[in-house]
Amino acid sequence: MSVGRAAVTRGVLLRLREQIDFVKRGKELLKMKRDNLAAETNRLLAKVGTRHEFDKRLMAAYETLKTAYMTLGYSRIQSEASTVGLLEAKIRPRSVMGVLVPEIVQGKKPTTTSITSASAYAAAEKLNGLVGELLEIAEAEGRIESIAQELMLTNRKVNALERVLIPNLLEMIRYIEGRLEEETLEEFFRAKRVKAVIRRAT
Amino acid sequence: MKPAAITYLVTRTHGLRTHLISSRDIQFLAKAKSLKEVSDSLLRTEYGTEISKLPTKEVDAITLEQIFLKTLVNRFFFVTREAQGKMQDLLTRYCARFEVENIKRVIRAKHSGEILEEPNLIPLPREYTLVNFPALLNAKDVDEVVALLRETFYRPLIERLEAYRQAGVTMVLETALDNIYFGKVWEIASKISDGKGVKDLVGKEIDLRNLLIAFSLKVRGLSPNLIQEILVSSTYRLSESKLHSLTQARLEDAPSMLATQPYSRLASEVVNIVRGGSHIPFEIPFLKQLYQDASKALKTCFLDAGYIVAYLLLSECEAKNLVAIAIGKQLGLPEEGILKSLFVD
Repeated sequence: MSVGRAAVTRGVLLRLREQIDFVKRGKELLKMKRDNLAAETNRLLAKVGTRHEFDKRLMAAYETLKTAYMTLGYSRIQSEASTVGLLEAKIRPRSVMGVLVPEIVQGKKPTTTSITSASAYAAAEKLNGLVGELLEIAEAEGRIESIAQELMLTNRKVNALERVLIPNLLEMIRYIEGRLEEETLEEFFRAKRVKAVIRRAT
Repeated sequence: MKPAAITYLVTRTHGLRTHLISSRDIQFLAKAKSLKEVSDSLLRTEYGTEISKLPTKEVDAITLEQIFLKTLVNRFFFVTREAQGKMQDLLTRYCARFEVENIKRVIRAKHSGEILEEPNLIPLPREYTLVNFPALLNAKDVDEVVALLRETFYRPLIERLEAYRQAGVTMVLETALDNIYFGKVWEIASKISDGKGVKDLVGKEIDLRNLLIAFSLKVRGLSPNLIQEILVSSTYRLSESKLHSLTQARLEDAPSMLATQPYSRLASEVVNIVRGGSHIPFEIPFLKQLYQDASKALKTCFLDAGYIVAYLLLSECEAKNLVAIAIGKQLGLPEEGILKSLFVD
């Protein structure tokens, strides 16, 4: 006698009860993970929310750069730009609830002190001032992308546990418990009958 | 009586001046719908020969800029070739502004370890430069570049090398180059007979450059002593003491300190830009003033050697205007934005 592949035995019932305990604990952990990831996403969304205003400032900086291009010409700007030092930044992976997210560690900012032209300097300073924030927003967007993927997966797992696995296990436990009860009653009845037959024979 | 050579050169320049694009046409070009329309309109001008060689698909602001610069250099050196004696000496030195710009580009590239190739430099006729640019381009660092310039006019750069090493910024050498350039031009301009017009224009350019440097470095927050070091040592209407007190004073006090016009007005414009009242680049008011002075000189120095320098300055102004229009069109900037950057009457 079996439900699906499981045999209707006390051993199976015990194993199923252990399994459901384990699954419920797993579900709680996944819920905790989901909540933490959602909280992290909310925190990052606040950062990404500044992007609209940041875009405006970036566009204003680009306008300054365009004007500098017009005033000095491509070749002069290219030459002035060559004196600007490189931006130092490292991207390393960081784990948030087991999800690998990018972390940008900003190092030395580009130096603009060698620029002689006033308009090129103004454009470089404006852009340089925005680089740090640009990296922060890029980091937040990268994190949200990774976290959103994991959040979706976790949500699916929680849903699968809540709506499919746990109800199935409970159903199976109920069925096995019922069958086992029936078997006990049958056994009890059989024993009574055997006892009665033996009594009559003696 | 004027030397015949100068009279000839001035007369020749009067003819060359007619080749310059008028302010009205420059404004018309700024209103063109596209870069293609700009290049097509320029086919009828002095730039037409070079532009017509370009395949239609290759017309872009960078290529056009090279053509404008090449034509500008040709105009400068054509006049220089036509000149004689001290006037030729002056014009040869005056044309060294391109050489100076090229040296600056090499220094900037060597400072950051970037590879610079000859097409990135302004093309110069070999006979008018003592600088071995191929050797400079192959130099391994700024020290070697300065060492290679030892046998030229730019020898004093060696003295600024230590300051460059300490500060770690190319500005030290770049301003030293400007100092050498303006010093030489001023020295020769002072020797020209009947060179009042020339001296006036060169002197105003020096004054304007000093003011631009003083203001822009003050805005950056550099120390007055450092600014003082960077300024061109030759002065015209703005005395050294005036410049010194200007570097020490607050920017807001500059307009009242500079009693002479147009410097006081320029100072007010700078204060306005810094306060955010205007979004035009810092250089524009100074360059506008210089080109206005050159335009005026065309009328006042009609038969003077100053006319030649004024023509050269206006050629430079035209090249700058065309570069601004080409880049503005390529970047899709609005007409008003382009017009603001132009130097027109």
